Amino acid sequence: MDAYAVSVLTNIGLLGFLALSAYLVLLAGEMSFGQQAFFGIGAYCGGMLTAMAGWPLPLAALAAMAAGAAAAVAVALPTLRLRGLYFAMATLAAAEMARIGFELLHWQVEVAGEPVGPDGTQGFRGIRWVFEAGLAPEGYAVLVWTALAAVTALLAVAERARLGATLRAVGEDPALAAALGLDVHRFKLGVIAASGGLAALGGVLFAHHNTYIEPRNFDVMLGVHGLAYALIGGLGTVFGALVGVALDVGLLEGVRVFQGYRMIVFGGLVALLLVLRPRGLLDEETVRWIGRRFS
Amino acid sequence: MLADLLQNTLDGLAAGASYAPVALGFALIFGVLRRANLSYGPAIMLGCYAAALAHGRFPGLGLGALAAIALLAAVLAGAYVERLCFAPHRRGSAVAAMVASFALWMQLEEIATLMLPRHVVAFPALYEGEPLAIAGLVLRVEALAAIATAAAVCALLAAILYRSRFGLAVRALVAAPLAAELSGIRPARVFFLVFALASAIGGTAGFLVAATDAQITPMMGLWLTFKGLLATMLGGLGSLPGAVAGALVLGLVEAHAQWFLGPQLRDFVVYLLLFSLLAAAPRWMRTPSPS
Repeated sequence: MDAYAVSVLTNIGLLGFLALSAYLVLLAGEMSFGQQAFFGIGAYCGGMLTAMAGWPLPLAALAAMAAGAAAAVAVALPTLRLRGLYFAMATLAAAEMARIGFELLHWQVEVAGEPVGPDGTQGFRGIRWVFEAGLAPEGYAVLVWTALAAVTALLAVAERARLGATLRAVGEDPALAAALGLDVHRFKLGVIAASGGLAALGGVLFAHHNTYIEPRNFDVMLGVHGLAYALIGGLGTVFGALVGVALDVGLLEGVRVFQGYRMIVFGGLVALLLVLRPRGLLDEETVRWIGRRFS
Repeated sequence: MLADLLQNTLDGLAAGASYAPVALGFALIFGVLRRANLSYGPAIMLGCYAAALAHGRFPGLGLGALAAIALLAAVLAGAYVERLCFAPHRRGSAVAAMVASFALWMQLEEIATLMLPRHVVAFPALYEGEPLAIAGLVLRVEALAAIATAAAVCALLAAILYRSRFGLAVRALVAAPLAAELSGIRPARVFFLVFALASAIGGTAGFLVAATDAQITPMMGLWLTFKGLLATMLGGLGSLPGAVAGALVLGLVEAHAQWFLGPQLRDFVVYLLLFSLLAAAPRWMRTPSPS
């Protein structure tokens, strides 16, 4: 496989985490414009832990996921009772504050005679754990996809279990779910914590793939892309979110015919797709239909 | 110190006046359709790009002709967005409509960069003389134009909404959609015209902003959508007077925060204000929101 294909595949995997986190929030009946912040927090935390403190990547990833989950809960606690666009705007405001926070973050330490660490708008370079561990780009792609497969499998199992039914009940009719004795608020908080952790895991892996991150990477465009991926892929199954990413990054960036016109093609395609299928390609009905074929 | 405060307040009000029509167009669409149109700014940007293109080809065109081109192109782009993103989802999902409008944003932005590939494109300046000096305060002539335009747009919109049959139909659809439909008002047609009106208002505002800066970039679409969204949110979703008030508050907060804290913290302060207001949820921000 050539280097370009490997990098496209890795990018699909990385954005897959973001799309999955947006998907989880959508299933819980909310819409977030702010998942990019937790992706960014993961990237900065993970990068700082490996490059500045010398932690191994797996440990740094766990810590970054905890930070992402905690940040997501911190944003959701005062805003979760808001609905619809109000919640979306609150998450957007929080995410923009986080991005400006990255711009203001200057903290460098000497590592092997060179300053390493976030340098405000100049970005944060030298996140070289993967290189120093001797991992080739192909190896890293395998690592990203293994992590994504593990997360997806976990979510797919949870979705088929009682948890998935509960999640959809909370998302579709919170009043009814509450009447059935579910603690809707706590359940949503749990889902949002998980979505923050997932986005952060994507961020850690992104930082170690790029070796260089800057605040601009985590602007609102990234978050809205994640949201769009989840929605065009479909809200019927966890695989929908990944289909959404693959459609954009794989099909359009991979096929070089569209170079220069990619967004014109993609934008029109998505708008038309949503006219025909407002809940995405793999919506609930389609998933049930496919399910019946195989049972 | 006092002079600085007064100057900042004046600058803030001028900025707020240039945001006000932007916010009005955004709030008009939201108030009537109950849908957020993320492509609002990009459609206006495309209008300004059309004007810039015409300016490059035919340098003899005056500001009035260029403004007409910008307005017309913005309305056409807005109509395209409405047909593809909002008309099909009128009874359906608000999230789908919003994501579709985001998809078209990407499209409009790429069309703009294909029209004029340079990142910064020159735009004819509104006024090239010295700013006015009044009692030690500086007032740009462009600011006066912005204030006059904002006042004119408010008056015109009020006249349309409260003095015309079309305005009556719009208000009827907002107040009681079913009753309005039963009495012969066609929602699809009214929504389309509301979109065209909002795009015309936004196109005017966008042209003024572009001519004040004497340049445009592809970032203009994001800028316009964000200012519209922020001002509308601060003033209470869907309320037109709220949108104007929100625009003025946004301008004032930005001007003072920029002076005391610098440009990075200026944006931080605006988002912090919005986040705190949303978390505290005062009464004027508690209008029911769809989706």
